[in-house]
Amino acid sequence: MYIQDLHCISPQQTQTEPFFSEPLRHYTGNKYIALEPDYAPLIPAGLLRRTGKAVKMGLGAALPLLKKYPDLDGIVIATSAGGIEDSMKFLTQIVDYEEGTLTPTHFVQSTPNSLAGMLAILSKNTGYNTTHSNKSLSFEAALQDALLLFQEGACSSLLVGNTEQFSQHNYNIESLESTYKTEPVDSDKLLKSGTSGTVCGEGAAMFVVSKNPAEALAQISDVGQISSPGQEELHACMVSFLASNQLVPDDIDTLVLGFNGDQRYDFWYSDLISTLFPSQSVISFKNLVGEYPTASAFAVWLSTMLLSGQKCPAEALYKKGMQPPKNLLIYNHSKGIQHGFILLRKAV
Amino acid sequence: MKILQPNKPKSRVCVTGMGILSALGKTQDENLQSLRNGNSGIASTKHLLSKYTRTHVFAEVDASNEELLNAAGLAGQAGLTRTDLLALLAFREAVKDAGLYPEQISSAGTALLSASTVGGMCLTQELYADSHLQGTGSPYLSSYACGAHTLELAKRYQMRGYTDTINTACSSSANAIMLGARLIRAGKIKRAIVGGSDSLSLFTINGFNSLQILSDKPCKPFDEHRKGLTLGEGAAYLVLEAEEECKNKKIYAVVSGYGNSNDAFHPSSLSEEATGVVAAINGALATSDLDPGQISFINAHGTATLNNDVTELRGILKTFGRIPPYASTKSYTGHTLAAAGAIEAVYSILCIRHNEMYASLYCDTPMKEFDSAPVSAYTRHAGIDKVMSNSFGFAGNCSSLIFEKA
Amino acid sequence: MDATELKQKLKAQIIQYLNLADIKPEDIKDDEPLFGGNLDLDSIDSLEIVVLLEREYGLKINNASDGRKILIDINHMASYILENTPAQ
Repeated sequence: MYIQDLHCISPQQTQTEPFFSEPLRHYTGNKYIALEPDYAPLIPAGLLRRTGKAVKMGLGAALPLLKKYPDLDGIVIATSAGGIEDSMKFLTQIVDYEEGTLTPTHFVQSTPNSLAGMLAILSKNTGYNTTHSNKSLSFEAALQDALLLFQEGACSSLLVGNTEQFSQHNYNIESLESTYKTEPVDSDKLLKSGTSGTVCGEGAAMFVVSKNPAEALAQISDVGQISSPGQEELHACMVSFLASNQLVPDDIDTLVLGFNGDQRYDFWYSDLISTLFPSQSVISFKNLVGEYPTASAFAVWLSTMLLSGQKCPAEALYKKGMQPPKNLLIYNHSKGIQHGFILLRKAV
Repeated sequence: MKILQPNKPKSRVCVTGMGILSALGKTQDENLQSLRNGNSGIASTKHLLSKYTRTHVFAEVDASNEELLNAAGLAGQAGLTRTDLLALLAFREAVKDAGLYPEQISSAGTALLSASTVGGMCLTQELYADSHLQGTGSPYLSSYACGAHTLELAKRYQMRGYTDTINTACSSSANAIMLGARLIRAGKIKRAIVGGSDSLSLFTINGFNSLQILSDKPCKPFDEHRKGLTLGEGAAYLVLEAEEECKNKKIYAVVSGYGNSNDAFHPSSLSEEATGVVAAINGALATSDLDPGQISFINAHGTATLNNDVTELRGILKTFGRIPPYASTKSYTGHTLAAAGAIEAVYSILCIRHNEMYASLYCDTPMKEFDSAPVSAYTRHAGIDKVMSNSFGFAGNCSSLIFEKA
Repeated sequence: MDATELKQKLKAQIIQYLNLADIKPEDIKDDEPLFGGNLDLDSIDSLEIVVLLEREYGLKINNASDGRKILIDINHMASYILENTPAQ
């Protein structure tokens, strides 16, 4: 399927051209917070007042696209935690008021599918509509669902995207699991920190995808995943994934990898580079936007930028290769358990 | 409004195994007996801790968490939520029923597509404490997300292939079944284990109560005087396999049609025109290549809320031109949220397998607007070969499935 | 508390509970319909206001039909509160 248009809200200047500020926004510490637009012109006031940040960012990224493309055949959204802060506010009420009379707004807003539902209401889109919520393979699942719709001949164009918000409550839970750095690290030193833990980000990226290659920015060719593999198994899976797309590792010129500065887990990426892709360009993205389950959506946004000729920010260029981007592979994993791959190509 | 009109499928999608836990029982057989006898699982609870147990009835799986752990052979194991345990037990029954070997379950050609709305949020106190950094962390830190139970299943069965968790509220596991069928028809996988799990929780009890749609008495689907839903819990999984994988296997039924649409009207209620209902039903009929007249029976969503039941029947009338035989098994199991699609798929397939229909309970006064009442008694030799199952969720997510005799 | 003070307080509370960020108490007229009027409130907002009455004034509205008679406008809400809470 072909990416016709896209919009991204993230901790970097990714909403309007020229993308990325010079220099890039740098972060110190564990919280990479999104730069948000003024939502008032985008979202009706009656809705804006009761939506949480995850839904706001998703609406902020998607509504401009839905206005421009009013005839899409469906909406496919990925979010791991959904309106998590709304969930936590409702849960806190349950405990604090001992199950007394409670206000319903937070409950209604908390469900992960509330963004997809809201987008359908606002654009009057009664087509295919679903939400994938499978932790760090949520966005990959959304892409697979969309690719399948095109393969089935069931649609001409779709909206596909993610939203994920920073939630202090979720951050607390992840902290207890030692997910994050315990010492403050600058984003420009994150990937070489050599210490355990990563940083927490947030964002929403939305894509209009169609079966029409004309004037497309990039092509999403395929998506794959594997759970809890050994390293050799992962490499075999990667080779097999490429082979099913008539490619071998040498055909890939650019890797976009989910390095997140956690030295306990980043070896998966460095190992893959040295084993299968020793001479390719390597791009990183989590030092720009942080780690979150659907961060691969940002990776697709960034990849599309590169494939359509935008310059790669220096901070994202992990390793310079010889070839300009034409066949690009995104690989991202979470704690060695969920591994996802997305194959993108330059739209001819 | 467009209806998905996919290319003609190559391979039939066969249901070769089923596993289920609900208030009606902890196995397929127990559920079947309760359905045949018209015994609802809605009652006062024994295990749930909530202020509402004094005043409200629920449809609880008759087992404590400890009993579920024991049944799963995991006594003493920490970190497993009730949602996880219900999922594990239903999954185990399903794969055994389908006669799957461990290597088949873990193969790259086998997908796991599950669903949950509550996930580990059934652990109110632990979640409160962990999220407020009270203490050093419970054993459930990685168990709260709705996808956590899917990862747990994948880990236990060493599943390498495609995994996904769908959350479209009350239509979640129906969408998981739909996705599994689509992936098989497209030749991407050989088999998919599809379904969902949800446990009773303070989160959902208080949530539905805050919307004033939780009934204190047993729900009365399609009754003129219905006043809301009864919450239930449970899990169900179906093993779907491409027909060429099914030589010498029993085939319960074929997943022949599926439709998905969004009502695009309001976050927590359906439109008067039943837009999403109509589109989902028409989508299912189109993909199964059936006329409405060929559907023998509808397992309705039938939550007993004022809004759902009237909208659903209006939608059925619009698409069918009449109202075929229908019933809501939520009068037995309560509303099992994300698990509902899968639980009701199992019940739809039992109707086909045994050629029968089960009574829709607690409907004393049929709705005046329609010249129709749900099936009121257990009916054998009913000529059931094609069953539609509907599931409509918050945020307008409407899905409809069709199962056919193989 | 007299009726005028109560109405001012109610308006501020409605703004707080419903997160009506751009509206000040003086923007809400005493006789302005809460539903179907300029405030653009819906059924979920009515449930929020029911919670407000219970939490702030200890008054429980048990069903939708009672609710519709009380939640007409600020005047009706204030009268209901004054009639049903003990005189100070």
